[in-house]
Amino acid sequence: MGGKVTCTLGEVKNRADFIIYWGGNPADCHPLHFTRYTLTPKGKHVPLGRKGRTMVLVDVRETPSVKFSDIFLQVRPGKDFEVLTTLRALLKGRPVDEARVAETGLSLAVLQDLIERMKKARFGVIFFGMGLTMTRGKHLNSAAILSLVAELNAFTKFVCMPVRGHGNVTGADVVMRWSTGYPFGVSLSRGYPRFNPGEFSTIDVLVRRDNDAALILGADPGATMPQPAIDHLASIPTIVLDPKVTHTSRLARVHITTAVTGISAPGTVYRMDEIPLPLKPILRSPYPTDEEVIRRIREKVKEKPAWLPASFAAVPCA
Amino acid sequence: MLRITGGRVYDPANGIHGEVKDISISGGSIVAAVEGPGVRTIDATGMVVFPGGVDVHTHVAGAAINFARAMTPEDHRTAAKFIHSPVTRAGAGGATPTTFATGYLYAGMGYTTVNEAAVPVLSARHTHEELRDTPIVDKSCCVLMANNEILLDLLEQGEVERARDVVAWLVWAAKGYGVKAVNPGGVAAWKWGKDAKILSQPVEGYQKVTPAVIIAQLAAIVDGLNLPHPLHLHCNNLGAPGNFTTTLETMKVLEGHRAHMAHLQFHAYGGEDWGSLSSEASKIAEYFNAHPNLTADAGAILFGNSVTITADGPWQHLLYQLTGRKWGNLDVENETGCGIVPYTYKGGNVVNAVQWAVGLELLLLIQDPWRIFLTTDHPNGACFWRYPEIVHLLMNADFRRERVMKLPAKALQRTVLADLDREYSLAEIATITSAGPARALGLPRKGHLGPGADADVTIYNDDPDREAMFRGPRYVLKGGEVVVEEGDIKKVVEGREFIVQPSFDKSVEDYLRPLFEDYYTVTFDNYPVEVERLEGADIRKLDIS
Repeated sequence: MGGKVTCTLGEVKNRADFIIYWGGNPADCHPLHFTRYTLTPKGKHVPLGRKGRTMVLVDVRETPSVKFSDIFLQVRPGKDFEVLTTLRALLKGRPVDEARVAETGLSLAVLQDLIERMKKARFGVIFFGMGLTMTRGKHLNSAAILSLVAELNAFTKFVCMPVRGHGNVTGADVVMRWSTGYPFGVSLSRGYPRFNPGEFSTIDVLVRRDNDAALILGADPGATMPQPAIDHLASIPTIVLDPKVTHTSRLARVHITTAVTGISAPGTVYRMDEIPLPLKPILRSPYPTDEEVIRRIREKVKEKPAWLPASFAAVPCA
Repeated sequence: MLRITGGRVYDPANGIHGEVKDISISGGSIVAAVEGPGVRTIDATGMVVFPGGVDVHTHVAGAAINFARAMTPEDHRTAAKFIHSPVTRAGAGGATPTTFATGYLYAGMGYTTVNEAAVPVLSARHTHEELRDTPIVDKSCCVLMANNEILLDLLEQGEVERARDVVAWLVWAAKGYGVKAVNPGGVAAWKWGKDAKILSQPVEGYQKVTPAVIIAQLAAIVDGLNLPHPLHLHCNNLGAPGNFTTTLETMKVLEGHRAHMAHLQFHAYGGEDWGSLSSEASKIAEYFNAHPNLTADAGAILFGNSVTITADGPWQHLLYQLTGRKWGNLDVENETGCGIVPYTYKGGNVVNAVQWAVGLELLLLIQDPWRIFLTTDHPNGACFWRYPEIVHLLMNADFRRERVMKLPAKALQRTVLADLDREYSLAEIATITSAGPARALGLPRKGHLGPGADADVTIYNDDPDREAMFRGPRYVLKGGEVVVEEGDIKKVVEGREFIVQPSFDKSVEDYLRPLFEDYYTVTFDNYPVEVERLEGADIRKLDIS
């Protein structure tokens, strides 16, 4: 189990005739998704546009996205894993207990219909959001949906994509991977990268009060993180680089105002399908860019004596 | 200024095979002689001097390898660790090394130039960002073309002239160096869950375009554009039992044109199914030996853990079904795809044992070392940092025979490796690891030690244990700077990127722009990689012949 069967958004635009959004509300959170990539565009192999596509929405509540969908499936909160597992069982022709399926809020007949539609799709895609990945089951929900999609490829073309947001989070993930091997939750405290989500991920480090300083770039954890994490940020020297005053900048010891990336600073942003887009600034800013501030801090740090051995050495594997 | 004295020099491009000779360096290049008090001397007496290694086919940067990194945290955990120091950045080795570690590992093995063999235009910007973070080595990229739908549509309509302009435009848009074809037509078909297994059969969704048409046209276009590196071809039917017939047919299609056959090991199998898979390296080598328009790299496998990464999506789906392991797939709109499956080659597995033998057989049966190069299709067959193991197997027939005898009996019956006595000389190793690939890539300043060459020099202790010798050079020089000394990275320099600018009719942009609006999700203006974003770009303008 593992991996991800995915594509770039243009593949969806040009080919997808069966589109599922699971655990998200794109109408509000990704308002251009429908018109730019998934529903309304006339694709190379979907000349009818919206009429050539079927959209299914799976969520625990009715949201403004419902009216864009052809089929809305309302799952009981916390039952996504059971629904996905049932779909995997049906795909493989395994027996399922009708009464237990009904506990998910969806009947067996509805899920049988769904899996048949998925198998008959010419090109199917599932976009899944934090309503799936951050609710009961968490990463096991992600694993279940990724596995379902991989297994569907024995029948037809099927792909999936996590629907990500929050600025350039994908870009941070991509750069962390090429420089450390891991996407997030990395500790460099031993001089080489170690990965352990739950131990080295930001909230866990903060809640345990492990760190004695923080540098925050392109994020506003003061608005989103659990209170104990925010309390710890307020109690230590926290430095924030941000063009604006934010919840985090208010509790920080130092706030360095920087130029807005994409408006007055150049750079690259990675789209949710990991396609890099160039940012071309249209205005000049009196403020330095994030990159310049980090570079100048780094130059100062370099003046301090190194605390690691001077010569290169590869530590033998365990 | 620097002089390397007393070493036995292997510079096959200049006909020097182990003569004791001084090498003089000034301003980053090799020169005829250096004089004066400011000359530093490296005493290489008793040592062996090679031009820096050149890897003609590897996957070290971009969306595919970065996808693989994300998929294999368990591998990084047991991989060699690279510790942050005043000289080096932190990182991890293993099957899919991080970018900084990639630079240190290649340089640490005496390699100074690498060719990233599979770059989609749409994500080329990402590839270049990773290459910029890959220190010391010089780099180039091959751009994926054989499943580009704009191009296939043009071939369907018979618009060959315009197809040539589009190829040239795409190479420049990606800031690439060469043209790569992967499973021509098969990846496009994979977008509908299909494959292209027969060269003469139209590709899914097309009436006229067949894999053979794509191969022949691309090879002709690449030659017509005067690209320094010929069409870099990953044939149809990779990895499949009995695929040697497809490979032979492909080579026939290529007659009259230059081509580089990538990872030939994966394309030289006989048999009907997995149970009867056998080596057909002899037949492939026989044809190849008689056709000097072709070069190839071995794509050898070694037993152990690897991660398979290829633009060949349908093959990776099959491998996922065969192994039940993790499967990553990334289809790239209108252009290509990629699949990723971790894989463990096992010595006791008959199929893997045959694959192991086929790689070595090709290296031993192809007679001209100027046309077959050492690769493992990193990270597919094995990681690039394991090349010294293959050098040892090539140079020592007794050692090789010892290893061959450990293969399962069924594998021995289906291979000829046990009967091969050839041993590579040091000059031949210098050819397949440096001089040959540099020539095939069309890099005149690489792969040799004559005046005017880049001062990329690797100095080895003449250790009878050839694996140890090639694993840890005594010194490695990049552009005249000593970057490695006895296994330690002493200095980190930045590498260059070799880029070609083929000529094309500017009006091709008027043709492409509306297609972009219809089929792509990025705007036409945001598609090409900007030259200003590249550091160390070494751009060569080309004229049409």
